[in-house]
Amino acid sequence: MATNDAVNYDALVREDRVHSRVYTDPRVFDDEMDRIFHRGWVFVGHASEIPKPGDYRLASVGRYPIIMVRGDDGQVKLLSNRCRHRAATVCQIERGNTRFFRCDYHGWMYRNNGDLASVSYPDGYDRSFRKEDYGLIPLPRMESYRGFVFGSIAATGMSLKEYLGKATEQIDLFADLSPEGEIDARGGIHKYSYRGNWKLQIENSMDGYHPNFVHKTFFGMLKRKGMQNPTAHFGGRSIAVTRDFGHGHVMLDYRECNRKAPILSVAPGASEYKDTMVARYGADRAAEIISSSGTHLLVFPNLVMIGVQLRVVRPISADETEVYLYPTLLKGVAPELNQWRLRGHESFFGPAGFGAPDDLEMFERLQTGLKNDLDPWLILARGMNREHRDPDGTRVGHVTDEVTQRGIFREWKRVMTGREDESEQLENARLAAVD
Amino acid sequence: MESLRERIESFLYYEARLIDEHQYNEWLSLWTEDALYWIPCNSDDADPARQAMIIYDNRDRLEERILRLTSTAAWAQQPRSRTRRLLSNVEFRAIDGGYVVEANFLLAEIRRSRQDIFAGRAIYTLRGNGNGDGFKIVLKKVLLLNNDDPIDNLTFIV
Repeated sequence: MATNDAVNYDALVREDRVHSRVYTDPRVFDDEMDRIFHRGWVFVGHASEIPKPGDYRLASVGRYPIIMVRGDDGQVKLLSNRCRHRAATVCQIERGNTRFFRCDYHGWMYRNNGDLASVSYPDGYDRSFRKEDYGLIPLPRMESYRGFVFGSIAATGMSLKEYLGKATEQIDLFADLSPEGEIDARGGIHKYSYRGNWKLQIENSMDGYHPNFVHKTFFGMLKRKGMQNPTAHFGGRSIAVTRDFGHGHVMLDYRECNRKAPILSVAPGASEYKDTMVARYGADRAAEIISSSGTHLLVFPNLVMIGVQLRVVRPISADETEVYLYPTLLKGVAPELNQWRLRGHESFFGPAGFGAPDDLEMFERLQTGLKNDLDPWLILARGMNREHRDPDGTRVGHVTDEVTQRGIFREWKRVMTGREDESEQLENARLAAVD
Repeated sequence: MESLRERIESFLYYEARLIDEHQYNEWLSLWTEDALYWIPCNSDDADPARQAMIIYDNRDRLEERILRLTSTAAWAQQPRSRTRRLLSNVEFRAIDGGYVVEANFLLAEIRRSRQDIFAGRAIYTLRGNGNGDGFKIVLKKVLLLNNDDPIDNLTFIV
């Protein structure tokens, strides 16, 4: 792309609105791949998916095909799925267990830690060819937090811990629903796709304004069954809030709504579960974990955590997206409780669920509407008049307010324009002072 | 008098027509109280005790599914899907009180000017012998060929 064609991101994103082009322009999508997905931290998978040495699964970081694998040494690695010889993928099966990855084109063999084990008919290469120079290339950076594995294609940048910031507290709440503090992300995968931009999914995941309209039929059914009807949680007088932790990590915080009657209190074996949790964490922390119900968080750019699920967003093109949902199991609880989680997940989510398909319908309606740009702006101003900041810097608003969408686009614009964030500025100032 | 094969095939064709013509309440009346309408996810033999399914409806949830399909606020079916399906390769065996019936299917679905094709094998447990009161469906397990690939909308009846 010639420099004079460069997209002006400052002009496309304002504090209270974004331009249609951020969802429709293939050049914007290419820039997103380069600047967001091929530079920053991207969620890849959870270590519990590959518990044994040799376990692997295919993954991607932006457009890069990779393999998440646990080597014979027990370490999780993110390896390029590309033969060093002529670039064919060396692993074709989505998940499995292997000691070796073999390229089926000319027979080169790699160990499950990425080392090149053998080349076919090696006398065709002289002594200058050293096998140790031709292993599967690991992603330049990999870090994990509580088994959540992130990769980055950039060799340098802020640490994962710094990037996640206060989002780690929400990840803790999600994982600590297990009395052993560990989730198992092998509860099946719901895979769906839609003809719309990837950001529609992350914005919608953090949208507390839509449920009473899009999910009217679902709430109607809960009412029919005499179950707790959460309509009030999503209404104009809800006591729930939106939070923006920075770096695009935002959440819908329903803890205040759940405190009196947490969702988990109606699960099978709820009182035994609660006792186990209190024994493990103490009464206060156990109550906090249970009322969080597994959080409702976006880890920018591609991981959403809602209730029982990890939701991974896979951008395909400006107007095509795939989404993988991983309902998780809790280690150390009764099987009935995990089944209750799975059946509850199915009732709303997946391509045949009673909720999520209605969201996808909205994305496609929106992507169609975007073609009419007589007024090209989408308005994200809701609640700007009542947003405030907590002492720790977190931006907070009413649950129906677009604090979360503004938080997403604040980070999006920062990354797309290549600006440093506040912490990087401080760090650079510190280094300059030392020099 | 119809042969057993004719009675079974007629029932499958009748069930298919009720779905394709959106006669959902009549379709629901074909099911027993202990019904299970099941579409496995990721693999045909996925374990419901440890994995999420695409659909795992007991009678209660099946009724909710029909309530949604007959409401006007299930946006994923506004506009609704039009479907027609072919059944073939029918095989069956007797069990206590009924039959296990298997059939391949090919299903065309069109919505918003886009046509999708779904294929697979459906496995039924039917109660009764097809005479007099006919059959009732205890179990319909649908093995979709694409159950491990992204699907955009499966909110119609398969």
